[in-house]
Amino acid sequence: MSYLVRRLEFFFITLWAALTINFILPRIMPGNPAQAMIVRFRGRVSPETVKAIEVAFGLHSNENIFQQYLEYLRNTFTGNFGTSVTFFPVPVGDVIRQGLPWTLGLVGMATIIAFILGTLLGMLSAWRRGGFFDAVMPPVFIVISAFPYFWLGLLVLLAFALTLNWFPLGFAYDLTSSINLSWDFVGQVIWHGTLPALTIVITSIGGWILTMRNTMITTLAEDYVKMARAKGLSPVRIMFMYAGRNAILPNLVGFAMSLGFVISGAILVEIVFNYPGLGFTLLQAVHSEDYALMQTLFLMLTVAVLVAVLAADLLTAVLDPRTREHG
Amino acid sequence: MAVRVVTDPGPLETPVVTSRRGIAGTVGRGLSRNRKAMAGLGLFGFFLVVAILAPVVAPYDPQSLQFDQMLQPSRAHLLGTTGTGQDIFSQLVFGTRESLLIAVAAGLGATLISVIVGVSAAYLGGFSDHVLNLFTDVFLVLPTLPLMIIVGTYLNNRGLAVLIGVIVITGWSYGARQLRSQALSLRNREFLEAARARGERSLYIIVFEVLPNMTSLIVAIFFGAALYAVLAAAGLQFIGLGDPNSLSWGTMLYWAQANGALLAGSPVWVLAPGLCIAALGAAFALINYAFDEIGNPALRPVKRRQ
Amino acid sequence: MRRRELLIGSLAAVGLLAGACGGGTSSNNTTQKTVGGVLTIDNESGALWQCDFNPYNGSVNGQSFGVLYEPLVYDNLLNDKKTPWLASAYEWSSDSKTLTFTIRSGVTWSDGQPFNAADVVFSFALLSQHPEADLQSDWAVLQSVIQQGEDKVVFTFKQAAVPNFYQIAGQTAIVPKHIWSTVKDPASEVVRNPVGTGPFTMGACTGQNITYKRNPNYWQKGLPYLDTVNYPAFLDNDPANAFLASGQAQYGGQFIPNIDSYYVAKDPQNNHYWFPPINNINVWFNLKKAPFDNKALRQAIAYSINRDDVSKKGEFGYEPPGNQTGVLSPTFDSWIDKAQADKYGYKFDPGKAASLLQGAGYTKGGDGIYKDASGKRLSFSIINIAGYTDWVASVQVIQDNLKQVGIELKPQNLESTAYFDKLFTGNFELAYGSVNTSPGPNPYYELRNTLDSRTTAALGQTAAGNYGRYQNPAVDALFDQFGATTDSAKQHDLIKQVEAAMLEDVPVIPATEGVAWYQYSTKDFAGWPTKDDPFSAPAPWNLPDWEVTLLHVYKKS
Repeated sequence: MSYLVRRLEFFFITLWAALTINFILPRIMPGNPAQAMIVRFRGRVSPETVKAIEVAFGLHSNENIFQQYLEYLRNTFTGNFGTSVTFFPVPVGDVIRQGLPWTLGLVGMATIIAFILGTLLGMLSAWRRGGFFDAVMPPVFIVISAFPYFWLGLLVLLAFALTLNWFPLGFAYDLTSSINLSWDFVGQVIWHGTLPALTIVITSIGGWILTMRNTMITTLAEDYVKMARAKGLSPVRIMFMYAGRNAILPNLVGFAMSLGFVISGAILVEIVFNYPGLGFTLLQAVHSEDYALMQTLFLMLTVAVLVAVLAADLLTAVLDPRTREHG
Repeated sequence: MAVRVVTDPGPLETPVVTSRRGIAGTVGRGLSRNRKAMAGLGLFGFFLVVAILAPVVAPYDPQSLQFDQMLQPSRAHLLGTTGTGQDIFSQLVFGTRESLLIAVAAGLGATLISVIVGVSAAYLGGFSDHVLNLFTDVFLVLPTLPLMIIVGTYLNNRGLAVLIGVIVITGWSYGARQLRSQALSLRNREFLEAARARGERSLYIIVFEVLPNMTSLIVAIFFGAALYAVLAAAGLQFIGLGDPNSLSWGTMLYWAQANGALLAGSPVWVLAPGLCIAALGAAFALINYAFDEIGNPALRPVKRRQ
Repeated sequence: MRRRELLIGSLAAVGLLAGACGGGTSSNNTTQKTVGGVLTIDNESGALWQCDFNPYNGSVNGQSFGVLYEPLVYDNLLNDKKTPWLASAYEWSSDSKTLTFTIRSGVTWSDGQPFNAADVVFSFALLSQHPEADLQSDWAVLQSVIQQGEDKVVFTFKQAAVPNFYQIAGQTAIVPKHIWSTVKDPASEVVRNPVGTGPFTMGACTGQNITYKRNPNYWQKGLPYLDTVNYPAFLDNDPANAFLASGQAQYGGQFIPNIDSYYVAKDPQNNHYWFPPINNINVWFNLKKAPFDNKALRQAIAYSINRDDVSKKGEFGYEPPGNQTGVLSPTFDSWIDKAQADKYGYKFDPGKAASLLQGAGYTKGGDGIYKDASGKRLSFSIINIAGYTDWVASVQVIQDNLKQVGIELKPQNLESTAYFDKLFTGNFELAYGSVNTSPGPNPYYELRNTLDSRTTAALGQTAAGNYGRYQNPAVDALFDQFGATTDSAKQHDLIKQVEAAMLEDVPVIPATEGVAWYQYSTKDFAGWPTKDDPFSAPAPWNLPDWEVTLLHVYKKS
C-alpha cells in the first residue's frame, strides 16, 4: 500500500542524508588529529615520532574525496567503523558497544514512562474538561517543560543525592561491581538510574500531556463519540476504546520522531550524572576530532530514531484503517 | 530541553481576516482574551524592558573584576559575586540582552525558513512538495544537540552568529510541517478561488491572501522556535561550546558550574541564571500554547460547535 | 570544565626498604604498618576506561605506567632525587656519552617469569624499531643499547646527553620480552592482561572502574601495604569532585574550585591538599611577527601584568604567581639568581611600562590605547583553550591589567585541537599556555623546550617547543653545555645565565606556575607525600610517581 511505500521511502532517504551529512561535516574541520595525540603525549616528541603517528593513523590518505565516500559507505554497511583516535587504538565499534546499552536503556525507559504517564494524564485531563486538574495543569506543565534540562538535573542532584543522600552521586552501578545478571546488580542499576530518569521524565512529560490533551479534546468532539455516549456506553469504555485509541494514534508517530530530542537531552544527563553512556563520548570525540567515532555515533543515534519512526509508522498503519484509505 | 512532540496538526480553525480589523487586530483580540498569553507576554515584556534599560538597572559594570571573589548575597551584591570577582546581579541584567537577542534572532531565522519551505511545499505541490517534505522530515528526525555540537565545533568560531546559525539550521523543520498542513487546508478556500479568478499571480496570492490568514500560526511558530532557541543556546553554552567571554545566562551557568558553585556554597550563581532561562522559556511556551487555543477553539474553555 | 595537567612520567624515587620512604625521615616504621586496605583514586579522566594497559600508548599509559610497569630509576620530579629501581646502580662515563646500568636481580614478572637485563635491552630495541611507541623520543639521542655480561646494560649516546637520563631511566617503561616479542605493533596493541614488575596487578576492569590488586611477589619485600586500589572513571569534574568531597575517594588529583569550602570544610581534620608547582604558564610572544620583535614592547608588557592578581583571581590563588626568570619557585628555588632578577624587578608597574612604551616611540591615543608612529594601535589577539576555565579567567585578568596600562588584548578562546594547531605552527600573535612537553626534575627541561631554537620549526610547520620561535645561539650553547656536564655547580651556573636571557629578552612571560593538583584524606590512611616530606610528585597523574605514593600509603589501624 502506498502509505507504507511512502514511509519506507522516507526511511531510506533520511538514512542516506544522515550518512552523507556525517561524511561531509567532519571534513571541514581544521587542525590535525595527530596533534591531539601530541597534546596527550606531553613528552618530548621528535618530528620523526610525529610523522610516524600520522602514518599510523592513516591521516595522509592519497584518495580523493569520492573514493573516500565510497569506501566510507562500504565500511559502514559492513560494520567496520574504523579506529578511534580518542581511545586509540580501540576500534570504534567497541567504544560504542560499551556505552550504547546505557544510553538506550536510560533514555528508552525514561521516555516510555514519560509517554505512558503523559498520555494517561492527558486523556484524564481532557475527559474532565473544566475540572480543577484541567485548569491548573496545562500552565504548570508548560512552565516545567521550559526548564533547562541540565539545570533541573543539577537541582535534583543537589537535593536528592547530596543533601538528602537518598541516591548515589552518579555512575550506572556501584563502582566495585561487575556487570552480571543478579538481582543485586539489577537493583543497583535501578537505584543509580532513578535520578537521571526522573529528570528526563519531568522535563519531557509536559509535552506528552499537553499534546494528548489537545488531540483528545478534538477527538471527543467527533460524531462517533457523541454516538457512543448516546448509546449509553460507560464513560471509561468511551475514554479508552473510542476516543483514547483514536487520539493516541497520531501521537505515536510524533512520539517516535521526538526521540531525537530526547537523545539530545541524554547527552546533558550523562554529563551531570556521570552516566557511562554515549552522550559524553560524543562530546569527547568532537573535542579530539575523532572522525570515525563522531560519524558512527551520530549515525547510530539517527538510525535509532529512524527505526523508531518506522516502527511507529507500521504500528499506525496496522491499527488505524484511515491511513490505509488515504494511502 | 523540553521535548517537542511532533504531530500533524488537525484542521485548524483560523478566523478569516476581514478587512476591517486587519491581521494585528484579529491576533491581538484573540490574545487579549487569553490569560496564558497575557502572562507570557507580560514576562517577555519584562525581560525586554530589563534588557533595554540594563545600564540603568545594573549597579555595576558586569565585566569588572574589582570585587572580592565568591561573595555571598548581600546589600552591596544582591546575588553575590563570581569566582573572578564580578557582580552576579549585574551580569544577570546585562546577560538578558544576549539571551533575548539569541532567542529572537534565532526564532525569526527559523520561522522565516519554516514559512518559505512549508508554504512553498504546499503551493508547488507534486514532486517539489514531496521533496521539500522529505527535506523537512529529515531535519526533523536528526538528533539536534549532537548535530549542533558537531557543526558548532567544526566552524570553530564561537561567536554569536555561529550559535544563532546552528540553532536556525536545526530548528526550522518543526514549524515547516505545521505551516505546510495549514497552507494546504487553505488552498481551496473560496476567497482564494476568487483571487485566482481575478487573475492574480501565485506569488501575490501567497503573500497577500494566504500568509495573512496564517498569521496566528506563524506567530505561534515564532514563539515555539524562540523557546527552542533559548534552551538550545543554554545547553550549548553550558557544555562549553559557546564563547566563555560572552555575557549571557547560559555562559553564566557554564562558569558557575566550572567553579563548583552549587556544591561550594554559592548556589545562587547557578539558580539565578537557570531561573531566568526557565522564565523566558516559560513566557514563550505560554504564548505558544495560547496560540494553540486560539487556533483551535475547541481547546478553549468555551467549546464551539462545528 | 577546567584544566588539568596530563603528565607522563615523573620518575618515582622510592626507598629500597619498606621503612625508608624517600629522603625524609618523618614517615618511618615507628608504627606497625599492616597490609590491607582499599584506596580509591579520584582523577577525572574525561572518559570511560578502555581497559587498555599499554604503557607505550600515550592516551592510556596513565593507568599502567608506574603501578604495573616500572622504570629503571626513580627520578623525583620535584627535586631530581634519584633512587635505583629496576636498575640497582648506574654510572656515567667521563665524557658523559655512555651510561651503564646494573640490572637488579631477584625481580619477577607478575606471571612468575624472571626479570633480567634481556628485558631491558628488548624494551629499548622495541622502541627503536617502532618510533611511534617511543613517547620520550629516547632514540633521538641514543646510539645503542647493548647487554654486557649477565646483568649490565650499556647505553651509548650520539652526543653527551646527561639530562636525558630523566626520560630514559625514569620515564621509559620496561616490558617483558617473553610477551612483547610477539607484538606486531606496540603503540596500538590493546593490552588487556598486563604483565609487569610493578607493586600491583590488574585485578578487574570495567568501563567504570579499574581494580588494582596487591602483587604478593613484588620485588620490594613487604610492599605495597595497600591491598586494593580502585580507579573510577569520571566523565567530568563535578562528579569527581563530589565523590572526593563525600569521602568516597581518598586520593585526588583534581582542580577543585573553592577547595576550602568545598572539600576541606567537609572534614577539616582529615581533608588536605598540597599543590607543588611543576611548570610555568606563560604569555607567549610570536617573535617572528612585528611588533613583538621589539624588546622594549615585550619588557613593557612584562611590567603590565599583575601576576599576583592573575594567581588570585584566575587560579583562586592555587597557582603561585610566575616570575620572569622562568624557574619555578619554590620548587627550584636553589636555581634562581635572585640578585639578578631583582635588578629588573618585574612586577605590575604601569609607570615603568609607560616609560618603556614611550621610549620605544609609542604614544597614547584618545581611546587610552597606545599607537605607534604610523597610527597602528597596540591591539593584539591572544589564543587560549576555551575549556580551561581557569586559563580563560587568567587571561581576563591580564586583559584588564593591560587595559589599565594602555594595551588592548582580544582573547580568542579555541577548541583545544584548534588551539594547538595554531600554537604549534606559530599562527598567533600572543598565546597563553604552558609548553606542551613533560616538565622535568630541574629547570633545564622546561627552559630548553621553551627557548632552544632546535626544538622549534619554521612558521607553518609543527614545532615541538619554543612556539614563539626564539633564536638565540648563545642560549642554545648554554643548553648544550648543560647537557654535557654532571657537575651540579656548573649546571646551576649555566641555568643562571639562561635566566639572564629570560630577564633581558622577555621571550615569554611566566604568568602563573602550574601545579600538581593533589588532595588526600588522612581519615583512614597515612603515609602521604606532603610539603614537608616530598618523597614523590604527589598527583595520581604524575607518572610514575603515583606508584611511589601508593607504595608509601598504608591503612591506619
